[in-house]
Amino acid sequence: MNPVIGYAAIAAVALASALIGFYGLRVSRTTSDFYVASRTVRPWWNASAIGGEYLSAASFLGIAGLILLTGSDALWFPIGYTAGYLMLLLFVAAPLRRSGAYTIPDFTEARLESRWARRVTSLLVIVIGWFYIVPQLQGAALTVRITTGLPAWVGSVAVAVIVAVVVAAGGMRSITFVQAFQFWLKLTALAVPAFALLFVVGGGAPAELPPAQAFPPSAGPGDHDVYRTVSLMVALLLGTLGLPHVLVRFYTNPDGVAARRTTLIVLGLLSVFYLFPTVFGLLGRAFAPDLASTGEADALVLLLPGRLVPGVWGDLLTALVIGGAFAAFLSTSSGLVVSLAGVISQDLLGGSVRGFRIAAVASAAVPLVVALAMEPAGLAGSVGLVFAFTASTLCPVLLLGIWWRGLTARGAIAGMVTGAMLSGAAILGGAALSAAAPGIRPLLEQPAAWTVPIAVLVTVLVSRGDRRRVPRGVDAFLTRLHVPEREAG
Amino acid sequence: MSDEAPEPPARVRVTAPRAGGPAASARPEARAPGEAGAPTSDIQGVYVRSLIRSQLRIGLVFAAGFAIATALFALALAFTPALDETFVAGVPVSWLLLAVGVYPLALTVAALYVRAASRNESRYRSLSQQDRA
Repeated sequence: MNPVIGYAAIAAVALASALIGFYGLRVSRTTSDFYVASRTVRPWWNASAIGGEYLSAASFLGIAGLILLTGSDALWFPIGYTAGYLMLLLFVAAPLRRSGAYTIPDFTEARLESRWARRVTSLLVIVIGWFYIVPQLQGAALTVRITTGLPAWVGSVAVAVIVAVVVAAGGMRSITFVQAFQFWLKLTALAVPAFALLFVVGGGAPAELPPAQAFPPSAGPGDHDVYRTVSLMVALLLGTLGLPHVLVRFYTNPDGVAARRTTLIVLGLLSVFYLFPTVFGLLGRAFAPDLASTGEADALVLLLPGRLVPGVWGDLLTALVIGGAFAAFLSTSSGLVVSLAGVISQDLLGGSVRGFRIAAVASAAVPLVVALAMEPAGLAGSVGLVFAFTASTLCPVLLLGIWWRGLTARGAIAGMVTGAMLSGAAILGGAALSAAAPGIRPLLEQPAAWTVPIAVLVTVLVSRGDRRRVPRGVDAFLTRLHVPEREAG
Repeated sequence: MSDEAPEPPARVRVTAPRAGGPAASARPEARAPGEAGAPTSDIQGVYVRSLIRSQLRIGLVFAAGFAIATALFALALAFTPALDETFVAGVPVSWLLLAVGVYPLALTVAALYVRAASRNESRYRSLSQQDRA
């Protein structure tokens, strides 16, 4: 691949993100502006921004790569990533907006009237954020290596530095603009090449594999591992509820009704977006099956346009997908860094603008170290595990906190710690354990189906045993969550 | 769907609760009595609890509906091998259906839920205002 294309596309996206970020800086001056954009963001902007933030390396590169690698089982990933917003709409969107809290730790503290519940939640949010940024940086490393020939670490460092600078300088108001821009950039960057490829293929480009071999029934929807699929769906559907960078967006809606409308628009935007990684993945199975065996399946989206479309047009399409991929790394990482910096600066640094800036730099630096030290795994799979962890820890507390008045601080902490230990052990120790006992391998590789129910059960049981410590303000708080705002006028 | 108001709402200064400062939990009581949101009487409390219950009920019903419909869809694909052997544009129909089939379902469920939730809220509003008048 011609490295000039790679350099040009990456530089253009980085520059555009920085420019929009600094443009936002001029209108972002107070602490509250920094945290949640003063709650004046309209549903379409907000929904685009949520989409922009949410569609990460896993969505942009990982899904197509996984379809190429494993077949139709991978189609469940985009379904889960999208339907997570359905769960968010049904159980969380409007009440969370009305809670008036800025972050999940704010919510748990206000709901449970406990500093300890806040501390545990903050810790989990930070861990989740860091491990979610790692695959983004690894995606950047892959993209830079494939497209420019530079060493992989350059990509990780570049993304971490750009994100730290933009977030520390601009705060979230500017990030809302950046994110909304990035959604439409990402959609264009996949849709235009996808249509072009379909056009070329429709014109009779020769496939590497005949359909029956490219899409064998053994990799198709008829050959399901039911447990894995169900567990993956539990992780993705419920994990979305607890993602810190997604939740913070809901505070920028003017009211609960707008929060619902925003979520509905997000569902629509994601449903359209995910058609295109799917197109890439399906084309890849017929036209670039060799990438699966060389272990570079995640680069499918980057390489396919250049393979199928010759000459200048192929170069232009390649530049577009590289730009979109970089937009994905930048937007998800910056969204996560914003929410992590919010949590860290409020809990440790007094909540000042200066504290926010220091926290932003720290939030980008730690995952960078992890990303450089760790061997990259498949992008969609790594992000799926972060979802499983989130679903087992923050999701039970959020759901029960919003809908069950019996939740107590002890119950919440017990549930979060249990969920974190079980899913953390399964994720980190899974490889070693399943070598010893191959029979439980699926349980360790997709732990959500058993860790989430156990976490919920522990939360409920401990809260039940602790009934006298139900917070005094619980009725007032639940009223605030569920009663609609006054109609204007 | 964008609701462009003629003039934007006045910007309100909202500040983050500081760690170590007064807890955010103090805020719910800050609403004036009589304003929507502060339970002023037993009957208001009953209305609020019934609102919460009915919102939870529709949430669970719609979630279960989505899960069951998706599961049935997946089973139908799995147990119809003919779909694996029918190719449209070089791709088996079963793959294509799984690739696009669930999204319209999720969107439909979401749109219906938004309507139902708003209806619950307006029912609550009219009940609690009737009671105050």
